[in-house]
Amino acid sequence: MGENGAGKSTFIKSISGAIRPTSGSIEFEGQTYPYMEPSKAIEMGIAVVYQELIQFEAMSVADNIFMGVKDDQGIVLNDKSRQKKAAELLAEFDCHVSPAELIRNLSIANRQIVELTKAMVRNAKVIIMDEPTAAITVSEQESLFKLVDKLKANQVTVIYISHRLDELFRICDRVSILRDGQYVTTKNIADTSKQELINFMVGRELTNTYPEKKPAGSEVVLTVKNVTGNGVRNINFELHKGEILGFAGLVGAGRTELMHLIFGAARKESGQILFKGQEKKLNSPKDGMDAGVALIPEDRKFQGCFIDKPIYWNISISTIDHLAKGGVVDRKAEDQLAADYKTRLKIKTPFLDQVASGLSGGNQQKVVIAKALAADPDILIFDEPTRGIDIGARHEIYLLMNELAEQGKSILMVSSDMEELLGMSERIIVLHEGEQTGELKREEFSQEKVLALASGM
Amino acid sequence: MVEKKKKSAGDLFADLSMPILLVLLVIVFSIMSKNFLTPLNITNILVQNVHVAIVATAVMIIMISGGCDLSIGYQMSVAAVLVAKMMSVHNVPVVVSVICGIVLCSLLGTFNGFMALKLKSNTMIVTLGTMAIFQGISFLISGSKTYHNLPRSFMMVGQGRIFGWLPINVVIMVVIIIAAGFVMGKTAVGRKVYAAGDNPEAARLAGLNVGKIKVLSFTVAGILVGIAAILLTSRSGSADSGTGVGIEFTGITACVLSGVALKGGEGTLWKVIVAVFALGVLANGMQLINLGAYPQYIAKGLIMLASLYITNKNAKGM
Repeated sequence: MGENGAGKSTFIKSISGAIRPTSGSIEFEGQTYPYMEPSKAIEMGIAVVYQELIQFEAMSVADNIFMGVKDDQGIVLNDKSRQKKAAELLAEFDCHVSPAELIRNLSIANRQIVELTKAMVRNAKVIIMDEPTAAITVSEQESLFKLVDKLKANQVTVIYISHRLDELFRICDRVSILRDGQYVTTKNIADTSKQELINFMVGRELTNTYPEKKPAGSEVVLTVKNVTGNGVRNINFELHKGEILGFAGLVGAGRTELMHLIFGAARKESGQILFKGQEKKLNSPKDGMDAGVALIPEDRKFQGCFIDKPIYWNISISTIDHLAKGGVVDRKAEDQLAADYKTRLKIKTPFLDQVASGLSGGNQQKVVIAKALAADPDILIFDEPTRGIDIGARHEIYLLMNELAEQGKSILMVSSDMEELLGMSERIIVLHEGEQTGELKREEFSQEKVLALASGM
Repeated sequence: MVEKKKKSAGDLFADLSMPILLVLLVIVFSIMSKNFLTPLNITNILVQNVHVAIVATAVMIIMISGGCDLSIGYQMSVAAVLVAKMMSVHNVPVVVSVICGIVLCSLLGTFNGFMALKLKSNTMIVTLGTMAIFQGISFLISGSKTYHNLPRSFMMVGQGRIFGWLPINVVIMVVIIIAAGFVMGKTAVGRKVYAAGDNPEAARLAGLNVGKIKVLSFTVAGILVGIAAILLTSRSGSADSGTGVGIEFTGITACVLSGVALKGGEGTLWKVIVAVFALGVLANGMQLINLGAYPQYIAKGLIMLASLYITNKNAKGM
């Protein structure tokens, strides 16, 4: 187990052969290998059930289970015997879907069982499960745990990746902790406690320094009352003028989803979102922008940037109507706007007609921020503001966020980077599986507290 | 003062690949046939490709918005037989008939865009379906008949000359190309079409109404297709349900050759138009040197593959 970005997925990919480690070796049943290859790993009995299941959606359960398995029947596949065999295997796991059913019609839980069956058919000795409970319901989770018990009873080794503490105590014998890509320790579950595991997961010193910022005022610019929808439930908070409010949570906790509700990119089911006490229409991002909100999305390449378009083009697109006179774009004003932001945000590029894909991650992010600022918002949502950005550019983005806040903009910041959250936020709201589990003030900040709330403790 | 980036030689070559192809073809055919580079033949090439150029413009707008329309040929067919029937059978005034034809096509285009939006489907699949519908409508209108006796004033549009030498339909084409080029290249609306096609999610999060932009692109394309149908009918002097069918593929070919991105968001009108005329010159030249019909297909395919190779190789800067 480990926090977001601790290196869990990278680790299992090295074992399954999806990526090659740069150094070190893998020892399996007494043999040492410098690296794995996917086909070799399967042959040796290593099977992975990935979080995003990779299956043949339009093929039947039986076809998926036996895909690639040699059959004595010759060239022609015998559907009936395969389906009978598949049904027997599935029944062992208490799964009673029809083997002729197409994979895409199955629930995620049943699809996981199909993957496990597939692994059993291949005589897997080690089964790696990557956050299997992330996408299934509570009752399905219990049957999954029983299944893991059954696998254990059948002498199969299970590597179970999770950041949910409860599950580990339910099904695991030992737990290894990763942090920032490094191995920390291994403990017997019986000899440890949730609190100790959290301490191991955190365990780092806060090293980076973050720029100082003037404290926020008391004027409330945004009130979120009992908001439900888009995967989050009953969210309540206030945002003050000039404040940086952090949002913590594990992957899938619903932070981005909540931001999309406030921006109008998704619709809430109930509750109220008030801007300076007034409820505004929020049916589309356009409405969000009209209400004074701007979003810097988490996925720069697919949501933030028009990667093949020039810088000036990217900066002006959301305000293009204001830059047009009688419908015709005023290129001079557009270039001027881009040049202004280039200076203000220190975008490093010799040419403003350079396409965005030619810029570094940090400069691309500045272009996205410029696009957001061009609409002159009161509230800025930074979703993972420094993901994939190098240290130097990060610091510039932090300075910029502080500067904006001091100028009276209010900032909602979603981040999976613990240091960034603690270093930049004035308050932190923690979400866990779509619900708000806590709110921390600056003086209460600690990594342990954030992580405990994020884990639902 | 904002600096401009200088274009690399590779970019420049990719930009100019269509003009270079056109010039090469003109040179080759001028050498091979003395009938090629004559005022008469050049005027012919222009006149014969007026409707193709307008259809290619429509195709480009749709492709930039991120779509693809396979039903354009049958939209033209519907408009052609409707307009011809109104004028020749029901004696409806020319102007009224022409307006009806254009409005009808804009509705058909809007229908395509709207269906794609509501069915949340790929526009290519949706227009494959609407193509069949339009084909049926066209034959229902025409009853497989060909309409010949079209009013003289209507034929003037496609066959008349200003000052005795300047074809009216060519003038109309130039006006439409300039207008479309201006809208796509210089206006806020055009910019939004590029944005919606280039990255619909980023466009949505930038506050653009992507669905509306895409449907409107189909509407505008429909208007252009209607005009193309009228120009084709008036030039040929007759209309039946085969009028215009298959032209969308010439349009798509011209777009792809000139670097309009299949995924949307990219494309330049003047290059598309040059590509249309390069294809037109190729067809005309091969006729003049008496290349048989079958070798013509092969030559056309080879030249297309070669120019794709050159365009893509340079666009990627390899």
